[in-house]
Amino acid sequence: MAGRPVPDLSATPRGSLSRRSFLRSSAGVGALALMGGGASTMLAGCGGDSSGSSAKEITFWNFYGPAPDKNPQSQWFVSLVDQWNKNNDVKVKLRYLPVAEYLAGTALQTAFQSGEGPDVFLISPGDFLRYYNGGVLADLTPKLSDGAKKDYVEGVLDTRMVDDKIYGLPMEIEPLALYHDVKAFEAAGLSEADLPTSWDQLLDVADKLTTNKRFGVLFETIPGYYQNFTWYPFMWMGGGEMITDGKATFDSPASVAALQFWQDSVKSGVAPRKPQGDGAGNASANLASGYCAMQQTGIWSVSDLQLNNKKFEYGVSPLPTPSGGQYTTDLGGWAFVANAKGKNPDAAVDFVTWALASTDSEGVDRSRRWNTVVKTNIPPRTSVRDAADAKGAFSSPSLKAFIDKVAPGGRPEPRVPPEVYKAVSDALQAAQLDGADAAKAAADANATIDGFLKTYDGAPIL
Amino acid sequence: MSTTSVTDPPRTDDRAKPRRPHRRVSPQARARRRREAVAGWLFLLPDALGLLVFVGLPMVLAFVVALYKVDGFGGYTFAGLDNYRTMLHDTQFWSSLKVTGIYVVATVPLTFAVGLGLALLVRDRFPGVGWVRSAFFLPNVISLVVVGLIWQFLLVDKRGAAARLLEPLGLGNLSFLGSPKLALGTYVVISVWFLMGYVMLVFLAGLQDIPRELEDAALVDGAGRWQRFTNVTWPLLRPTSFFVLVWTTVGSVTGLQAFDLVFVLTKGGPANATSTVVFYIYEQAFTFSNLGYASAMTTLVVLLLVLATGVMFATTRGGRFDEE
Repeated sequence: MAGRPVPDLSATPRGSLSRRSFLRSSAGVGALALMGGGASTMLAGCGGDSSGSSAKEITFWNFYGPAPDKNPQSQWFVSLVDQWNKNNDVKVKLRYLPVAEYLAGTALQTAFQSGEGPDVFLISPGDFLRYYNGGVLADLTPKLSDGAKKDYVEGVLDTRMVDDKIYGLPMEIEPLALYHDVKAFEAAGLSEADLPTSWDQLLDVADKLTTNKRFGVLFETIPGYYQNFTWYPFMWMGGGEMITDGKATFDSPASVAALQFWQDSVKSGVAPRKPQGDGAGNASANLASGYCAMQQTGIWSVSDLQLNNKKFEYGVSPLPTPSGGQYTTDLGGWAFVANAKGKNPDAAVDFVTWALASTDSEGVDRSRRWNTVVKTNIPPRTSVRDAADAKGAFSSPSLKAFIDKVAPGGRPEPRVPPEVYKAVSDALQAAQLDGADAAKAAADANATIDGFLKTYDGAPIL
Repeated sequence: MSTTSVTDPPRTDDRAKPRRPHRRVSPQARARRRREAVAGWLFLLPDALGLLVFVGLPMVLAFVVALYKVDGFGGYTFAGLDNYRTMLHDTQFWSSLKVTGIYVVATVPLTFAVGLGLALLVRDRFPGVGWVRSAFFLPNVISLVVVGLIWQFLLVDKRGAAARLLEPLGLGNLSFLGSPKLALGTYVVISVWFLMGYVMLVFLAGLQDIPRELEDAALVDGAGRWQRFTNVTWPLLRPTSFFVLVWTTVGSVTGLQAFDLVFVLTKGGPANATSTVVFYIYEQAFTFSNLGYASAMTTLVVLLLVLATGVMFATTRGGRFDEE
């Protein structure tokens, strides 16, 4: 047989690696590396508290600016900091994190665990207790005048307070509503008179709007704080609460009915199992793209649609209510907070209170611009709302609907520890997407919450 | 008809030496070999140091942190074995282990088979073979986040390419990422698509290491394709197969595909159907700030992997040939 001679590798130097032994070694080392990779990810930072008290530069982590595309919201943050830095010795440095990283990434957590948390950062009510109970939120009350405190709309500070002390200043109020695609309604032979006001009507109208390329209605399906936030109003409308007087009451008929309602929307095929884009809070990726004809989302979608889909025709209406229920919605919104263990907590508190609570004309105008020019929110302060009204900020039909119909009767987004959030999230996911019995899902979550509350000793859950 | 069975592979390394007549080695040659050996180990040193600092030490640290309750804000309280006790009663931890187990059992053999199949397909040179190999390898050079976004686009309910393809079959309403029954299977398919190029490359290297004359001999003996594969190729691929087996198994548990795809596409949903153990550990660490508990779970997962890898080493003899 002719062929290549078998290579004589007998002269391989002693101590060197043959290809086969290298493969074997690589398998072992590779296994170790991959296994360790998991471990090292978990322990990216383990350090002590590096807090000081007089650093001349403090950091402000956020998910708005300076963004690479220099969008208007990013520019508002940049000019806010520029304005502060012009007049103060302690400078503020912005650090931008993409929203997905900020909300669910590792940066913020590893920074705090290693004692290197930002001096100023943003939190939603949903995440307030984790940070408050972790002892990193500075008391802002001493730097707030009575006038500034009274300027905040009643109830808007409640979920940022513990024992009458204020630990976060809201920059906005973000109510949830039902948006609809005007052209889709027309194509289905429907008009504004057909906008659903009850849950049964919603399913019926959604069915009429559903085609082989479009869903009738969209609720959030991705598990997370946002999904819980969007579902709470449905539980509240029937009189349900997660916790009452310190005891778990999640297994109430109202919770079960709300879980069942979301399950029905998916089971009947009028609502999708998965939203487009980054989720059901994105109206451009869903409603405006024709993926759905109605969508539950927040007031921020008004500015998003104005920016990305100027010609898209849509309307806004309050969330439908269950039979015999009372209307409400969830009032979200992010807050500035100062790190009590940061490099210069006093300066951080000064910056936060100056940025969002200044009652002078410059401060009011700054908040007005955030709430009604670069973004669409309901201002959390009376003076800012008056200034915005004077400029006709709420004259568009969509914002007028938010002011007149959607926001009144709304409730602030609840603050719950992560363990309660997770129990509710599991129930919601099981009922909505796995066809679980709604009563059992609620009972399971109730038992988990009940067990957790027995050992919980943090700030009140609201 | 007789076929050439290669249970006795050709001697290609220095273990064959004792059977050969003793050969005198000059002092210069010995010095050269020593220098080469030193050089070889020096080349390995940076990687070894990297492993020690960035993998070895954090692993040890994880074992230690698992004994503490860590609040996520710099506070450590010694908790002994409490974190391990919590694990025993944590139904979601066991459920996430089950999800991972199913994922591994499905992904590893499929990736192995597809990678090997592709390697055999592009083993021989033909016009455009370079392009074909590159095309198969291409998914592997894309970031997993981008891979996730591409598949998310393809699998959109009702309107994605997959839904449109399946619509004539009456399956246009399937939700590949939104249905608990389909989501994990969808991950398996995406993972195999992503990994197959790399595994193909490894097998290709293994195939090219097999002396051609052995297959030629089998051919002369009248062996068909299948016989040549089972009696020549497969036995001689044993070290490569072992590497692929260990690499895909460990990677399917702790690798990027077990986390990045889940994070990008479903965040562990729908209804925890894709909550792999690594994703659940991440959730405990960074959503709940339970870093001590997360470390305890990590420790157990690492131990399970050491055990699984040990079993694989033992049952396959580390990929050695029978006579080694």
